[in-house]
Amino acid sequence: MGNSKNTNSVTPRKKRGFFENVVKYRTLILMCIPAIVFFFMFSYMPLPGIWVAFVKYNYGKGIFGSKFIGLQNFEFLASSGKLLTLTKNTILYNLAFILLGNFLAIVMAILLNEMQAKLFKKVAQTMMFLPYFISQVLVGVLVFNLLNYDTGFINGILEAFGLEKWQPYADPNVWPVLLVVIYLWQQTGYNSVVYFAAICGIDAEIIEASKVDGANAFQRIRYIILPSLKPTIIILLLFALGGIVKGNFGLFYNIIGTNSLLYDTTDIIETFVYRATMTDFNFSTASAVGLYQSIVGFVIVMVVNGVIKKIDPEYSLF
Amino acid sequence: MKKKLLSVLLSATMVFSLAACGGSSNGESTSADKETATEESAEKTTEASGETAESSDGAAEESAAASDIDTSEHVVINYMTTGDRPDGAAAERLNEMLAKLNEILTEKVNAELEIYYIEWTDYLSNYNLTLAQMDGSVDLVGTASDWLDAWPNAKNGAFLALSEDMLKTYAPKTWASVPAEHWDMCKYDGDIYLMPEDNYAQWTNHGFIYRLDWAKDAGLADGVHSWEDLTTYFKYVKENHPELKAVWDSDGTQYAQMANGWIASHTNFVAIDGLATGALWGGTKDDLYTVVTPVMTETDSLVKYAEMMKEWDTIGVWPTDVLNNTSSQNRDEYRVGQVAAEQHHTQTWTDLCSATEANTIYADDPKAESGFFYFGEETDNVVALSITHGAMAVSAASQNPERALMVYDLIRNDPECYKLFNYGIEGVSYEINADGLRETPEGYDSTSDNINGMTNYWWGRNDDIEIRDASRNWTEIDKLYAKYDGIKIDYPYGQFVPDVDSIQAKIDNCNEVYTNYMKQISFGKYTGTAEEIVAEMQAALEQAGIADVAAELQTQIDALYK
Repeated sequence: MGNSKNTNSVTPRKKRGFFENVVKYRTLILMCIPAIVFFFMFSYMPLPGIWVAFVKYNYGKGIFGSKFIGLQNFEFLASSGKLLTLTKNTILYNLAFILLGNFLAIVMAILLNEMQAKLFKKVAQTMMFLPYFISQVLVGVLVFNLLNYDTGFINGILEAFGLEKWQPYADPNVWPVLLVVIYLWQQTGYNSVVYFAAICGIDAEIIEASKVDGANAFQRIRYIILPSLKPTIIILLLFALGGIVKGNFGLFYNIIGTNSLLYDTTDIIETFVYRATMTDFNFSTASAVGLYQSIVGFVIVMVVNGVIKKIDPEYSLF
Repeated sequence: MKKKLLSVLLSATMVFSLAACGGSSNGESTSADKETATEESAEKTTEASGETAESSDGAAEESAAASDIDTSEHVVINYMTTGDRPDGAAAERLNEMLAKLNEILTEKVNAELEIYYIEWTDYLSNYNLTLAQMDGSVDLVGTASDWLDAWPNAKNGAFLALSEDMLKTYAPKTWASVPAEHWDMCKYDGDIYLMPEDNYAQWTNHGFIYRLDWAKDAGLADGVHSWEDLTTYFKYVKENHPELKAVWDSDGTQYAQMANGWIASHTNFVAIDGLATGALWGGTKDDLYTVVTPVMTETDSLVKYAEMMKEWDTIGVWPTDVLNNTSSQNRDEYRVGQVAAEQHHTQTWTDLCSATEANTIYADDPKAESGFFYFGEETDNVVALSITHGAMAVSAASQNPERALMVYDLIRNDPECYKLFNYGIEGVSYEINADGLRETPEGYDSTSDNINGMTNYWWGRNDDIEIRDASRNWTEIDKLYAKYDGIKIDYPYGQFVPDVDSIQAKIDNCNEVYTNYMKQISFGKYTGTAEEIVAEMQAALEQAGIADVAAELQTQIDALYK
C-alpha cells in the first residue's frame, strides 16, 4: 500500500518509450516472469496447433504433415442443425452460473464477514468449501442416487409419505433448475473466497469511521462494502464472460449422461461434440469446435470490454 | 487511485487463479500438449518405419529363413487388449503364466510379452486415445472392425501397413494359414493392416438369453421364438418372480442391438459394419449390393417396435431410469439368478447356458435352463460374423514390429504358447480329461485361476489348437450351431472399407440423431404416439443426410462389386 503514495507523486504524465518502461518497472516485471513464462508455454506455444482444425489429421504424419481440407471440419457442426440450440443452451446455462454464482458468492462473503462467532465462521466456511473438492463423477452418482425413480432417496421419502413419486430423469423441464442448484452448491464456497479476500482488503479506517458516524450494518454494506467490491465484481464478470461459450462438460456429462430424453434442455456444445465425435475419434473436428468457441468467446469479451470502456474506462480490462 | 491499485492487484490474483484452472480443467491446453507429443513421436515413427523398411528389404533379399533374422537384442513386446487389469491372487497367477510363456518366447525369439490393458470403462475412447499417442507404448494391438474402430485407426495412421514380405518372414505360419481371399478383407488401399481371427468357430449374432424353465412355466412349451413370445415371457416373469432385482437390469446402451435385432427379425436386411453404432445402411439378402436404409422405409414395422417397447416399459422389464443406468452388472446378476434375461450374442449364451462354477443358477435350481432367442430367428436372417470381428494389428509406433509379428506367430500357432496364453498352466488353471476336453483341476478357483478371462486373446484364436471346455453344454450349443449353419449367409461386405472422409460429418450427425431417438423408442420413453416419434426420427434423419450417405456408399459399392 505504501507504494501507492509514490505512484501518486509522479504527477507529470508524459508518454514514455517501451524500453524506458521496462527499465523503470523492472522489479514488477521480474515478479511477473513466472506468469509470463506460464502463459507463453501453455497458451502461446500450442497456438500453431490450431492448424489441426483445418486438416485431415493423420497420427503418423503429424499436424503439419496432414492433408489440408479447409473448413470441412466445421461442416458437421453447421450441418447438424443444432448449432443454435447448443450455443443458446451453453450461453444461457453459463449466464445463470455466472450471475447467480457471483451474486450468491457476494452474499456469502458479506455474511461471513459480518459473523462474530469465530468458530462458527470457520466451520461454515469449510463446509461451504468442501463440495468444491468432490469430483464431478461422484456428484453425478450422488445426484442419481438422490433422484432416481426406483431406489432414489427422495422418491423413498415421497413413497413413505404416500405421495406420488417424482421422475426427474424423464422430465427435461426440471433440469435447468436442478443443474444450476447443483452448480451453486458446488461452487459458491470457492467463489466467495475471492470476494471475502476483497472485503478483508477494504481499509479498516473507513469502516471504523463509518461506525463512529453511527452507520448500522446494512448501511455499512450498502455504502462501503458493495462499492468497494465493484472493481472486483466487474473484473470477475469480464473474465467469466470470456468462457461463456465453453460449457461445463464434467457437470453435464456426469449428471445427464447419455439420456437423450433430456437433451432438449441440457445439451451443450461440449456434450454434443463428445457424443458425435466418439464414433470416429476425430481430433480435427473437436479442435474445430474448440476454435469456434474461442472465437465467439473472444468476440464477447471484446464487445463487453468496449462497452465498459465507454461507460467507465476505469473498470475496463484493457 | 487506490481503487485502481486494488483492481490491479485483484486482477493479478485472478490471473494466477485462472492459470491454476487452466492447468487442471482446460481441455484445450491438455489436448494441445498431446498433439505436440504426438508430433514428436510421429517423427520417431517415421525413423522407425524407415528402419523397418530397410530391414525387411534386407531380409527378403537374403531369403526369408527365420534363422537369418537378427534377434540378438532382447525386447519387450506390449500386447494391448481390452479388459480389466487383474489384481491380487489373479495377478499372481497371470504373472506365473507370463513368466513361463516369456521363458519360451525368450528362447525362441528373444522377446518377452507384457499385457497393456484398456479397462472396460469407456474402453473405446481409451483405446483410441492410447493408439493416438503413438509413443511406442504398445506393439501388438487387438482390434476389430466392428466394435473397436480397426478401420478408422488404420486410416488415421495408427497401424503399421504389413507388407507381404514382412508377414512371410516374421509371421510365416500365420501367413500360410490365412487364405488369400481373407488377406484381401484385411486390406485398405492395397495394404494389409490386420491379421484376422479367421479359423475360430464362434457366433456373435445377438439375441436374448432367457430362463427356458420359466418360459415353459409361462406357457411357452417350446421356448421363446419371437419378440411376441418375449412379451409373454417378460409379463409372466414380472408377475411370478418378485424376488428378482429386475426382469432385465438393462443399461442405456442396449438400444442399438435391440433396434438392430428388431430389424433383423422383420426384414432380410444385412447391415454394413463399422460405419456407425446403429445399423443404418446395408443391403438385403436378395440384393446385397443395393444400399437400403430400413430405418427410413420400414415405418410400419418400427411403429410396431415402438409400441411393443412401450408395453415392455409399462410391464417394467427394465429399471425406470434405464437411460441413466450406467453401472449395470446384468450378466453377473443373471449367473446368480437375480435377473431373468440378458441381451448379448450367442458366444455369451454358450457360457451362460452351461453349468459352470460361476453360473450358480444351475446348482441352486436343478430345473434351471437357459434358452437363446436370436435376432432374425423369425426370418432366418443370420449373418456369420466377419473375420475381422477379432484381429491383430501392429502399432505404427512400435519400435520392434518384426519381433511383435514373431511373437504373434507363436501365440497364434505354437500349441505350447497358445495353451499357456489362453488356458494358463496345465494342472493349475486347466487339465485335459479322458475325452480330450478341458476341465478345471481340483482346487481351481475361478476368481483367480481363470487365465482365459485375463489375457483376453480374441485376436487370433485357432480351432486347430483350441481344446473344448468340458463344462460347456455342448449338446445344446452344437444343436444351435448346426441350425445356424443351415441358414446363415457369410458377411458379404468383408472387402468393403468405404472411404468416408466426404460423408463423415453426415454419418456422425445421422448416428447422433438415430441414437437419441432410438434410445427413447427402444425403452418406450417417448412422449406422444409411436407414429409421431418414428415420423419425427425419420424427418431428423432425412435432414441429417441419411440419403446422401446411402448414395455415396452405393457409388463406392458399385465401384467395388460391379
